Amino acid sequence: MAHQFHPPVKNYEIIEHTADIALRINSKDLPGLFRNAALALFEISAKKNPSARNPKKETFSIKQKADTLDELFINWLNELLSLSAAKGLVFSDFKINSINEKELEAFAVGEDARGFRLDKEIKAATYHGLKLTRSAGGWQAEVILDV
Amino acid sequence: MFEPWQGKLEKIDDYRWRIPKSYKPGMRVPGIIYADEKLLKDIRQDKALEQVANVAFLPGIVNASLAMPDIHWGYGFSIGGVAATDVEEGGVISPGGVGYDINCGIRLMQTNFCYDDIKDKIEELTWALFNDIPAGVGSKGDIRVSPREEKEILVKGAGWAIGKGYGIEEDLECTEENGAIAGADPDAVSDRAYERGKAQAGTLGSGNHFLEIQVIEQLYDRDACDTIGLDLGQITVMIHSGSRGLGYQVCDEYVRSMIHCLDKYRINVPDRQLACAPVNSPEGRAYLAAMKCAANYAWANRQCLMHLVRKSFERVLGESWEKMGMKLIYDVAHNIAKLEKYRVGPKEKLLCVHRKGATRAFGPGHPALPERYKKIGQPVIIPGDMGRNSYLLVGTQKAMDETSGSTCHGAGRLKSRTQAARSVNANALLKELESKGIIVKASGRGTIAEEAPQAYKDVNDVVSVVHNAGISKRVCRMRPLGVIKG
Repeated sequence: MAHQFHPPVKNYEIIEHTADIALRINSKDLPGLFRNAALALFEISAKKNPSARNPKKETFSIKQKADTLDELFINWLNELLSLSAAKGLVFSDFKINSINEKELEAFAVGEDARGFRLDKEIKAATYHGLKLTRSAGGWQAEVILDV
Repeated sequence: MFEPWQGKLEKIDDYRWRIPKSYKPGMRVPGIIYADEKLLKDIRQDKALEQVANVAFLPGIVNASLAMPDIHWGYGFSIGGVAATDVEEGGVISPGGVGYDINCGIRLMQTNFCYDDIKDKIEELTWALFNDIPAGVGSKGDIRVSPREEKEILVKGAGWAIGKGYGIEEDLECTEENGAIAGADPDAVSDRAYERGKAQAGTLGSGNHFLEIQVIEQLYDRDACDTIGLDLGQITVMIHSGSRGLGYQVCDEYVRSMIHCLDKYRINVPDRQLACAPVNSPEGRAYLAAMKCAANYAWANRQCLMHLVRKSFERVLGESWEKMGMKLIYDVAHNIAKLEKYRVGPKEKLLCVHRKGATRAFGPGHPALPERYKKIGQPVIIPGDMGRNSYLLVGTQKAMDETSGSTCHGAGRLKSRTQAARSVNANALLKELESKGIIVKASGRGTIAEEAPQAYKDVNDVVSVVHNAGISKRVCRMRPLGVIKG
């Protein structure tokens, strides 16, 4: 494969929410924030079955446009959730090729969901309480997922 | 993210509290919360009341932004919220006011059995249901449908299932909207939504969805019980599920498009998850047409699930379901928006009633009710947690006057899933439930701790409020015997 993928790095925490799941995600840069958020989604919803060997992998090219960065973030996560459910896949790695406030191009690597124990069904990422902030140390996002 | 709500609440009476319009500039109506002092303490612990105030911003909202006693923090709307908007006065419809699981709802079946008749078979029945009914994340069912049939499901709802032999006409009569809401347009549903919902008819799903064998342990309204045909010790079966992936996709796509309607129609809401458009706008009409498709899909799904329950009982007990008296009592939606007529001041108005974790509760005599329930009012089914109780209630005229014909929908969460998972040992919980005569089978191990009774408010407290406030009336109380969780 021509594109270089990095090993997953856990860079998020689950924060309290009465009905759903809220996540706080960190990264030193914006592509990393989007990638870490995507990794978090699938890490909390599915655990790889150790007996599943050499699962079939499929790479998807994903393009998203939006009016704001917040919208882009939500659209990205919801597109991944939708695609994974429709295709019966769990996404396990991501590469953000280009990103600005309003556009994103990325690759997402999906593995057959039958090789995973599916613990949690995440219906969607929501705008409620959504915060994307930039500081000297990098980027942080807080997002509530409907489960 | 947990911070107690510090706003001021005005006491209206023992069961109603008001967030005044002055709480936040932009509120068009006050917020009214149905709760007693005990429940209110918990309700104040998160951001649910702020969400009640936010919903009061919706253009065209009439009377009040309402919250039922099972209210808890959601996303956009609180769970347990009711908001009615005046269609002719620019009233809006909000996909977030319905939620991702469109027409998540509940149905209750009766049987001819008394507890003593089948107490030795409960475990076998629970296993049979667990094996026969696809459950869990992304579960797919044996009920296969062609692409053409999928469109048919979206229009015909539960009627499609009846046509396939998965039930009888009488089931439709006992389903809200007769199992299919008119005006569904399959062209308003994207290909992705079809793909996401594919092969999920007749599947339970995961999370708080469940299937339960229950026994009636308390009668409150003898006349209503006689009308329905219920008695102490009788076995019932409850099914809680929704529109699965198809509904999630419809909601996602329409929230995405309606974000842009906020500017277009100059709508000011404090939370983008409340994205909305006038009901009488191209965007509002398109969402409504798609939402109805998902709602119909959910009614078809619950009809298929009931068919599978009937088949499991037949296999284990060796009788036909008809002979076992496995009739549908009623099926109600608790995540939906409906166009309904109510008196507002001196005039009758067409309102768009959002019920987000709230149940329709039409009073006696309402024309939408089947003849058999005209005298007692619409059956309202309120599930509790897997260790305590569930209820059958009926709607009242007071609900028609005060809450746009709405009441609560369940116990309501008290603890977050992470809190519950941290504090509950699943094995110990299963043993404790078993000692109380409750068998639990779950597809996902994590579900048991997250759905533990201590994660929920006591449904008895919640139902006590809606009964005492008069917006629905207790008929009987059930306790669980066998529970299937997704």
